[in-house]
Amino acid sequence: MPTAPPDPPHTSPRQPPRRVWESRWWVFGTALLLGLALLVANWVGGHPGAGVAMLGLMVVFGSVFLVGRRSETIRLMGQPDERWRTIDLAATAIAGLVLILVIIGAFLWELAHGRDGSPYTQLAAISGVTYLAALLVLRWRS
Amino acid sequence: MDNQIRQLRTDKGLSQGQLAAAMGVSRQTINSIETGRYTPSLPLAIALARFFAQPVEEVFHADGAP
Repeated sequence: MPTAPPDPPHTSPRQPPRRVWESRWWVFGTALLLGLALLVANWVGGHPGAGVAMLGLMVVFGSVFLVGRRSETIRLMGQPDERWRTIDLAATAIAGLVLILVIIGAFLWELAHGRDGSPYTQLAAISGVTYLAALLVLRWRS
Repeated sequence: MDNQIRQLRTDKGLSQGQLAAAMGVSRQTINSIETGRYTPSLPLAIALARFFAQPVEEVFHADGAP
């Protein structure tokens, strides 16, 4: 029969303090705000129906974090531990890499069709400058 | 990286969830450590070793280490 775990305070690693954006309410609120921004943008652009649909999608997405606490994966997305933070960092890096490759491809496509490459030139420049700045800051901090 | 976490945990009669709660991490993280798919941070590795009252080097074995 399993025994109760020993008193953990003197053995538990110090987990980073929980940040406000790791709260499930923060995720829901962010999704709601983004949904409202999409609604307004679509409304101004003359597509209120699309705006309502996008708002609905964002509300559903945010609600998953509120009601999905029984799922360990969803709970971890709101309250990550060190392994989940590592996974999140790798996933973010992969997404960024794919985005940069797409931007470079689109930039080349635009050039090959006799155009000046906008807006991909600027996006590629932002990516490059951000990467270099991040390297410098992270190197300085470590 | 090989480790003795599963052996030490079962010797104590603990579930992965109980060990996870004691360490302040998820059950999935304990499972990943036990199966060698995730190498814990140094603070977590030390905490696990302390939890089982073992030296860190007795709990975790670096691949290829003598």
